[in-house]
Amino acid sequence: MKLLSPRSLRQKLLGMMLLTTLVALVVALAAMIGYDLSVYHRVLVSDMTTQAELLGRTIAPALSFDDVRVARENLGLLRFRPLVSSAAIYNARGALFATYARADDRRAFPKLPEPDGARVDDRDLILFKRIVNDGEILGTVFLRADYELFSRVFDYLGIAAVVLIAAMLVALLMSSWMQNIVTRPILAIAQIAREVVGQRDYSRRAAKMSADEVGTLVDSFNDMLAEIDRRTRELEASNAKLAQEAVERSRAEREVLRLNVELEDRVRERTAQLETAMRELETFSYSVSHDLRAPLRAIDGFGQALVEDFPEHLPADAKRYLSRIRTSTQHMAQLIEDLLNLARVSRGTLERRTVDLSQSARQVVGELQQHEPGRAVEVAVWEGMSAEADPHLLRVVLENLIGNAWKFTSKAAKPHIEIGALKDHGRATFFVRDNGAGFDMAYADKLFGAFQRLHSASEYAGTGIGLATVQRIVQRHGGRIWAEGELGKGAVFFFTLTLAAEKAAGSVEQAHG
Amino acid sequence: MELLSKPPGWKVADVERWATARLLLACAFVVAAGLASHRPAQADAQADEYRVKAAFLYKFGGYVEWPDRSFARADSPVVIGVIGADTLADELAQIVSGRSVNGRPVLVRRLRPGDPIAGLHVLFIGRVDRGRLAEILAAAKGQPLLTVTESEEGLELGSMINFVVVENKVRFDVAPPSSEADNLKISARLLGVARKVVARSS
Repeated sequence: MKLLSPRSLRQKLLGMMLLTTLVALVVALAAMIGYDLSVYHRVLVSDMTTQAELLGRTIAPALSFDDVRVARENLGLLRFRPLVSSAAIYNARGALFATYARADDRRAFPKLPEPDGARVDDRDLILFKRIVNDGEILGTVFLRADYELFSRVFDYLGIAAVVLIAAMLVALLMSSWMQNIVTRPILAIAQIAREVVGQRDYSRRAAKMSADEVGTLVDSFNDMLAEIDRRTRELEASNAKLAQEAVERSRAEREVLRLNVELEDRVRERTAQLETAMRELETFSYSVSHDLRAPLRAIDGFGQALVEDFPEHLPADAKRYLSRIRTSTQHMAQLIEDLLNLARVSRGTLERRTVDLSQSARQVVGELQQHEPGRAVEVAVWEGMSAEADPHLLRVVLENLIGNAWKFTSKAAKPHIEIGALKDHGRATFFVRDNGAGFDMAYADKLFGAFQRLHSASEYAGTGIGLATVQRIVQRHGGRIWAEGELGKGAVFFFTLTLAAEKAAGSVEQAHG
Repeated sequence: MELLSKPPGWKVADVERWATARLLLACAFVVAAGLASHRPAQADAQADEYRVKAAFLYKFGGYVEWPDRSFARADSPVVIGVIGADTLADELAQIVSGRSVNGRPVLVRRLRPGDPIAGLHVLFIGRVDRGRLAEILAAAKGQPLLTVTESEEGLELGSMINFVVVENKVRFDVAPPSSEADNLKISARLLGVARKVVARSS
């Protein structure tokens, strides 16, 4: 049935009507034919029975008076009943008495009469009927008639086929015409619905053609369309608003992006300007420092020459003054040297390499001991420390830090210096600890500024540039440097050489321990 | 069993044949006629002829309508009188026993010439001489009485039915009584099987 399922309402209705008509016709025809055939059978049997009765009555005298000729004459009248193909009369003893046969029937007659009754034998109706007169059996009538039930069946089937075809054709025409009444409004709605969906035009309305259920459907459909129309408008308005907002937002984003780019440009520009300024400043200070050394060397050299060439001409005071001049000159030369170092540290390229920090520290300590063999300082350098750093700059850092420790422990009773490292989150934090003069933590942030000194130059020698240089180097390595200390008890300087070793501060206690 | 009490002189074979026929088909008179026509022996032929005639005589009653006045009561018998044919009378008596005509019992009465014919419904007159025949028929004339003869001049003399033997078969001619003459009506069906029907001139 699936293959045959019609697609349109029209076809469905047509199919239904045709099917209904077909079923009704078939049932009606079958009933009619069945009825007619049963009537035919009954009528034929009763007709033939009557005929036999009549024949019996007519022939009774001939039979009574043994008159075959008359009997034949009587039977001969059957030629007016063409339906009867043959007939016979048997006498009371059951012997054939007289016969009749239609011209086309040459069949034999039954030898003996059968009991009363009618039966159908193939295409014949066979009937036997006793002839009774005054309660006596005179003989038997035998009738053989054409039984046309089967040919009637075929005739009827033919007629039924013709009637069916004609009726179906008429039904087809009628239903095509009639279903218009039913389907036209529905198809109109379907058409409108298709157009509405196809063109998204919700202002369309279906025309109401009838006041029946379809009419109600049309009303509901139109109401629905109106509702959809309203909602669509609302949705469109809301969409437009959203789109407007989106446009504005994207414009704002573009603006922000543009500002960012501008900002970055400006930052880059400023950075470049700053870098240029820095470089100019460094170049300036370098050249100034460099140029300042020559006259200083001349002053120192001529001062020395004066002392050496005229030892007896100069009074003691003059010699003392000259000595002071030379000390100041040398201090200034050292100052200039440190400034040049600072400048150099800031410029130049950074070359990272694996450096044996323990060994470097020992070398620095060795140099210091060589320089001042009179001092007895207990120095502990941890083994196995290494760092990824520029070897030269790391040497500068160690020289400064260990040098400071050496210097500030000069007045300690039992000077002690320790160089070690703390492992913190896989990053090494190195430290240099001493038990020297120490410092006041209130000034901890000023330790690393150039020319910042917490002790007077007379107390401890120095230019005040060393820690600034160290900080500069550590920063260039991406590390950090900080210090802890207490006046008179010593100081610890921590530094890292890799980026973001922020947690080191928390490990100070461990360092002290 | 009844058959064994038949008059002597009959051949056993005949009796048996009769018996067989009677047994087979309860009441067949025609059989007698049928058998008779084929009987070869002369004596037998004579007997058969009377048997057939007796049967016919009985059957005629079914095709005749008597006026009501000829019967005393509703169940009065039909009386058949026989003159000059004892063999036939015997045969007839046998045939009618236990039978009826038009719902009435049948009575056979043997008459001597000169006996009154009143109260009869059928009268068979055997082979008597012409004078007697005419006399009897004249007496019967005007009565509701079916007269049957077996003489050539029977009808001429006023008989209504006259037996003839044609080709060894018993047939009969009919001369229906003039209408309303004596209120006796002979059925047309009987006329249908008659050899010939003679119109009564008078």
